[in-house]
Amino acid sequence: MWKNYLKISFRNLKKRKLYTGINLLGLTIALVSFFVISLYIHHEWSYDRMYSGADRIYKFNQEFVSGGERQLVSSTPSKLVPTLIEEFPEVETGTLVFDLSMFSSVLVDAGEGNQEESRFAFVDENFYKVFDFEILAGQKGSLLNEPNQVVLTEETAKRYFGSAQNAEGKSLKIDGKEYQVTGVMEDFPSNSHLDFDFLASFKTHRHGKNPEWSPSNYYSYVKLRPDADLSAFEAKLPQLVEKHLGAEQKEYGFETAFYTQPVTNIHLGDQTLGSIKPGTDVKYLYIFGIVAILLIAIGIINYVNLATAEATERNKEVGLRKAMGADRSQLFGQFISESMILTIGAAVLSLLIIYLIAPQFIKLGGVPLDLTLLYSVRGMMLLAALVLTTGLLAGMYPSVILSGLEPIKALGNKVKIGGGAWVRKSLVVFQFFVSMGLLIATFVVKSQLEYMQEVNLGYQREHVLALPYHYNMRKSIETVKQEMLRTGSAESIALAADMPIHIQAGYTIFPGGDNQKEFMIKGYSVDKDLVNTIDLTILAGENFAERDLSREAAHDSSMEFPVILNEAALSQLGWSPEQAVGKKVNYGGSTAYVKAVVRDFYFNSLHHKVEPLGIFLDPEQANVLLVRIPAGNPAEHLAILESTWKKMVPDRPFNYKFVDQEYAQLYRSEERVGTIFGLFSGIAILIACMGLFGLVSYVALRRTREIGIRKVLGATQTDVLGVLSADFARLLAISAVLATGFGIWFSGVWLEAFANRTSVGLWPYLSAILVVLLLAMITIGYRSWKVYTLNPSNTLKSD
Amino acid sequence: MIQLKEIDKYIESRFQRVFILKGIHLTIKEGEFITLMGPSGAGKSTLLNILGLLDEDYEGEYFFGERNIRLMRDRDRSNLHKGEFGYIFQAYHLIDELTVYENIETPLLYRNVSSGERKSIIADLLDRFNMVAKKDLFPAQLSGGQQQLVGIARAIAGKPRVLLADEPTGNLHSAQAKEIMEIFKELHAEGTTIIQATHARENADFGTRLITLVDGRIETDEAIAS
Repeated sequence: MWKNYLKISFRNLKKRKLYTGINLLGLTIALVSFFVISLYIHHEWSYDRMYSGADRIYKFNQEFVSGGERQLVSSTPSKLVPTLIEEFPEVETGTLVFDLSMFSSVLVDAGEGNQEESRFAFVDENFYKVFDFEILAGQKGSLLNEPNQVVLTEETAKRYFGSAQNAEGKSLKIDGKEYQVTGVMEDFPSNSHLDFDFLASFKTHRHGKNPEWSPSNYYSYVKLRPDADLSAFEAKLPQLVEKHLGAEQKEYGFETAFYTQPVTNIHLGDQTLGSIKPGTDVKYLYIFGIVAILLIAIGIINYVNLATAEATERNKEVGLRKAMGADRSQLFGQFISESMILTIGAAVLSLLIIYLIAPQFIKLGGVPLDLTLLYSVRGMMLLAALVLTTGLLAGMYPSVILSGLEPIKALGNKVKIGGGAWVRKSLVVFQFFVSMGLLIATFVVKSQLEYMQEVNLGYQREHVLALPYHYNMRKSIETVKQEMLRTGSAESIALAADMPIHIQAGYTIFPGGDNQKEFMIKGYSVDKDLVNTIDLTILAGENFAERDLSREAAHDSSMEFPVILNEAALSQLGWSPEQAVGKKVNYGGSTAYVKAVVRDFYFNSLHHKVEPLGIFLDPEQANVLLVRIPAGNPAEHLAILESTWKKMVPDRPFNYKFVDQEYAQLYRSEERVGTIFGLFSGIAILIACMGLFGLVSYVALRRTREIGIRKVLGATQTDVLGVLSADFARLLAISAVLATGFGIWFSGVWLEAFANRTSVGLWPYLSAILVVLLLAMITIGYRSWKVYTLNPSNTLKSD
Repeated sequence: MIQLKEIDKYIESRFQRVFILKGIHLTIKEGEFITLMGPSGAGKSTLLNILGLLDEDYEGEYFFGERNIRLMRDRDRSNLHKGEFGYIFQAYHLIDELTVYENIETPLLYRNVSSGERKSIIADLLDRFNMVAKKDLFPAQLSGGQQQLVGIARAIAGKPRVLLADEPTGNLHSAQAKEIMEIFKELHAEGTTIIQATHARENADFGTRLITLVDGRIETDEAIAS
């Protein structure tokens, strides 16, 4: 029986090439998109699940409460892990990771000159007990037990020494210090939140030798014993704080608390916490998942629509088979086997395509598609389930309709499948609703991205370079700066703690005098040239001058130091710019006076409102040179600056970033959402239009005679287009209304995440709807043109 | 074997009922070869469809043997339909996508006949109708007479007790028609009950009983001497 079903299904599919082609292509494209999205989502879900006992590994976050402000940070003191191991029996082991790239890069010399490396971390000797990465060379138990030992990843070992085996026992000069390579580990998997090239022994570091409760620069991890009770463990943490930090807390008036976070939750968890690797907002995974399902739905709908439309032509076959004794279930089996064959064919094709595009995809999206998932038993089962569901969903409705035809009527060839018409119409509406909706979403995302790139941030970010420098260059940096200015390729140069796109350092501030409410303020340590270099607007007061004291100098000599506040800070303090100038404030524990007020500028991503900011002089704390180069011909100026740098700082590479490019990087995840929406809305439109083409073809075929008569009576091509498109135009109009509703909802939800957002206006809606309408009309137009060009004498004869 | 009592079939149009069959009383004994005649629209095809369980939208009683069709469960009726009836159409109604062999095989598949048995039944039929060489051809490659031979082979493949034929020779020229009727005669001789609808009086001579329908009523019902 099944053999017969299959044979007949194959012949039917072969006979109706247009129908088969549209369905096969539509389903294949939908499945490819579905696989890609699924693999991506799976990759994101699989983060940090590969360590043995991953469900028992927890990372610690720390909460500071100071002056009524709560701040949750992901780093902890160096003393936390040793104390936990010592005092808590639940803790099997624990480790600490100090990500040096938060502060600076390192220079690595294997005897062939300095290389700048930024993926460098110190970890303690228990690291591999918590995270059991594979060790390719070296003694697993004693890799990082002593100071000045370093473990390389395989890729790094190859880069420096040719192979893992070669690297073991060699020595490397890192920032001038001699390290011994004690081992080589596998590269960090792409789905690990840990991501480094070098792991050096924490004992090398000052706080590795003598752990302390301050500063909080270290990521702490523990692995609990299998029988440990997490909530009981957590309940004891406040006692630990009280025991070790109680006295300090009272003295300085702050509170702190430690919280556990499952290691598997780091990547998708709270994105405001800093991490070694940027995480993914789980919201986007849900959105992508929904998009994947919608695409499959559109492919399925194509099948349903075409198959039911086509039922009119197959009713004779159905009637015959019934007359010969076919049960409804037997006919159902035959029709469902057609949809199954198509789906399986599409699945095979899409797997082939995935294999072909996977390498490209890694390059484009930066997301590795782990195809091994597809080989696994689970993957195979999921695949089979997906194919089965898709085939059933696609074949179900048409099979029910076809197998339910009454034999007499069917044989009479007079049947009109009218009952299914509204189903088909609503499915078409749904398809174009999804296409338009996705396109509107794309345009909304794009318009916000554009807004963020074009908005006036309140400072100049074009033609401004950021040149990070090492902290042991701080003595000579002023000379480098002057030398660069002399070349004329730099208009203005400032030293600053960071680029103005993310200023994170937190301080407290309150007006002079006692019993004043203090609040949190961001601090930006710079030199006197910052205001000019990035062109801040001074509203009142004066810019820093040569003789102004830096914060550190003022602290040493118990004097006041000048600070420049922004408008947001003033509104907290309740002063106008003119009132503010000259006022005294307590800034981070020492007294300062307000030298000037600058107009608010965006020193963080536009997700956030402009927060209070205090700019002060402290060139000693600076890490980057901000260099404004003359507009035009950047390459020439860069070359001149580079040669100056090479002359002045021969041992460090000239690594620069453009501030505007770094600013654009802030919105990478949004950019990615925009790209994915754009791509998949294109795919949705493509599949939907193919379906429309098929549907119009059937309508045209059925109405060939009618159109022939109309033509004889003098209908023009436009008239024919009108006849064929009238029904569809109505459906598209309904889709447009629905899509507009969705778009309004979506832009509300999505733009909510931005404190500073564009006013969307009408154009995303209008352009999305127009684009889809236009494509749909072209589809119908092409088909009607083909019908129109038929010679009526032929079409009329055939009936 | 078959008994129809007071069969009415009508179409409800807007203001009145249009009767297609009215008050049909008919008893058919096993082994009869009945010819239904009458002008177009007299209800011949409708009556055949009702007899063949293809149409259930009528009033009145239908007994097949002892059993009342109306009171049978769907499954039993479906089995009766599959097991006892074979159909032959004026327009042959072969499935275009299937070869001669596969067309004959189709009803057997629906009867869940095993593969080995199917092969031997089809081989016999092909042999009987001299179509062995044509078994892999598609209907479009055959002449009308040949197509109707396939139609007959298909109808009798399941060894039905009742063969229903609606204008089996309507599309054929006289030589082919005669050939078909000879086959019917043979089948009748083998014990098959045959009910055919036709316009051609000469076809009735092959049968045992002639029923004339006019405007949905039985006008005459006579035996034919062979």
